[in-house]
Amino acid sequence: MRIARSSPMPGFGLAMGITVTMLSLVVLLPIAALILQGASLGPSAWWAAVSSPRVAAALYLSFRLALFAALFNLVFGVLLAWVLVRYRFPGRKLIDAAVDLPFALPTAVAGIALTALYAPNGVLGAALPWKIAYTQWGIFVALVFVGLPFVTRTVQPVVEELDREVEEASASLGASRGMTLRRVVLPTLLPAALTGFALSLARAVGEYGSVIFIAGNIPLKTEIAPLLIVIRLEEFDIAGAAAIGLAMLAISFSMLFIINAVQIWSRRRIGLV
Amino acid sequence: MQRFSIRLTSAALAMALSVAGQAAYAEQLLNVSYDPTRELYRDVNAQFADWWVKQGHDKPQIQTSHGGSGSQARAVVDGLDAQVVTLALAPDIDRIADTGKIPEDWQTKLPHNASPYTSTIVFLVRKDNPKNIKDWPDLIKDGVEVITPNPKTSGGARWNYMAAWAWAEKAGQDPKAFVGELFKHVPVLDSGARGATTTFAQRGMGDVLLAWENEAYLALNEIGDDFEIVVPSVSILAEPPVAVVEGNIKTDDQRALAQGYLEWLYTPEAQAIAFKHYYRAWDTSKADPEDVARLPQLELVNIADLGGWDKVQAEQFGDGGVFDQIYTAK
Repeated sequence: MRIARSSPMPGFGLAMGITVTMLSLVVLLPIAALILQGASLGPSAWWAAVSSPRVAAALYLSFRLALFAALFNLVFGVLLAWVLVRYRFPGRKLIDAAVDLPFALPTAVAGIALTALYAPNGVLGAALPWKIAYTQWGIFVALVFVGLPFVTRTVQPVVEELDREVEEASASLGASRGMTLRRVVLPTLLPAALTGFALSLARAVGEYGSVIFIAGNIPLKTEIAPLLIVIRLEEFDIAGAAAIGLAMLAISFSMLFIINAVQIWSRRRIGLV
Repeated sequence: MQRFSIRLTSAALAMALSVAGQAAYAEQLLNVSYDPTRELYRDVNAQFADWWVKQGHDKPQIQTSHGGSGSQARAVVDGLDAQVVTLALAPDIDRIADTGKIPEDWQTKLPHNASPYTSTIVFLVRKDNPKNIKDWPDLIKDGVEVITPNPKTSGGARWNYMAAWAWAEKAGQDPKAFVGELFKHVPVLDSGARGATTTFAQRGMGDVLLAWENEAYLALNEIGDDFEIVVPSVSILAEPPVAVVEGNIKTDDQRALAQGYLEWLYTPEAQAIAFKHYYRAWDTSKADPEDVARLPQLELVNIADLGGWDKVQAEQFGDGGVFDQIYTAK
């Protein structure tokens, strides 16, 4: 109550009440149900369920490829944001709008389109010397596609705010172009880029719709963890599905925790906090 | 204010219309079915509705939902309001029976193990059969890629798997070793039969597709001359069963409609429709002789001879069963 009185903004109680209710209904309750279902197994059965070779392989595949895709998006998303803000060229507005397409497109459509392109008889698949669709490369391509807008859209406003005079000052003080980029530009972009990276990673870890079309779905090779959860559900093994879900939740949580810690550190470094 | 009242009136009007629209139908029926029956039930629903009206009833509103047999069964278990289920194999209906919505002895309520039509598993190969695939052992030759869906999620894939198993038993081979070797030749595991057909036909993956016979003919008709059907020496008698979901029946009229619908599937008229859609039905009296003759004769093994679905489901496809061992035992 003390917080409510000391706040200069009116309506704290109502706003807070709505927020907590909404969060509970759409986020906290489903997660609590997942934890309850997973916990019903007991620790040793849970560990046996998630450490079996097939589940362990699926979890490793999902998180490894999500990490690679998010790293790829981190580099190319920042580059894309930079190009879109700093340069003027014909078709810029069009490309800018196209960045949002992966948000808008149903993921199944994206998966089918990518598969048609990269399948051995597809336009790109036939031209490339190695197989993309139905291999881990296919999963990577799909994850890059769905995660691309996150980094670009979080970094873009920061690039717009970036003062050119700071770069000029850096140059006039004798810094080389590379040094300006390394010591002045990138540290400023880092917090936003990390937010985009975390969002892209989170999206890639949970992605299902587009991946199942382009992955071969072969156990131990190209079977992602979300697919294994669906398979467990089809077998009416709800506890087994919840066990994998819980493992994904735990790993995702620790990864996002680490990213947030790095972000706080990088914000402090450039004096934002 | 005036604008608001117009909106309110039109909303009320729309509601009244939709209520009136529903009242025009005497009864509603939702048939939850598996993947490749879309075309079959489109014809069945239309002709059954006409017949039902001729029997002196009001025109029924019949809807059909399609998807992987396993996920359709799960949807009904989770509360999908289906009055009849027409699924790919008995264990999926048994799962619904486990919840009490269907009586345990459902398979005795209708003739032929409650299967109004049957089918089998054949091979679909590329034109002129470049890998020269004639029978099951050709599938495990070097360089041959086989497309079949995941038996854990697809009913059709479980029939594929058991057809391979049946051939190996007949041929005096170790069926477990043969099926294990077969799945080493599978580069893509789709979750359902339609997905596997797409992977094979449109994505150009694999040399041979293991498919429902009716699905193989459909691919041939819809996608064209790029494929051929190869009939193996031995296959399985696939019996897709049907049942009334007693737990979802609300009125006696609805029960009469649901039962009438399933019983009508056994009439010569309905059996003719099944033959037209490349199913192996029972009664040929009203069927076009050409529809019957185009289905090739081959040796079909009954699932009961392999121990029945109860045993097969647990041993082969249960958690840690033979199918799981194919991928985990190295």
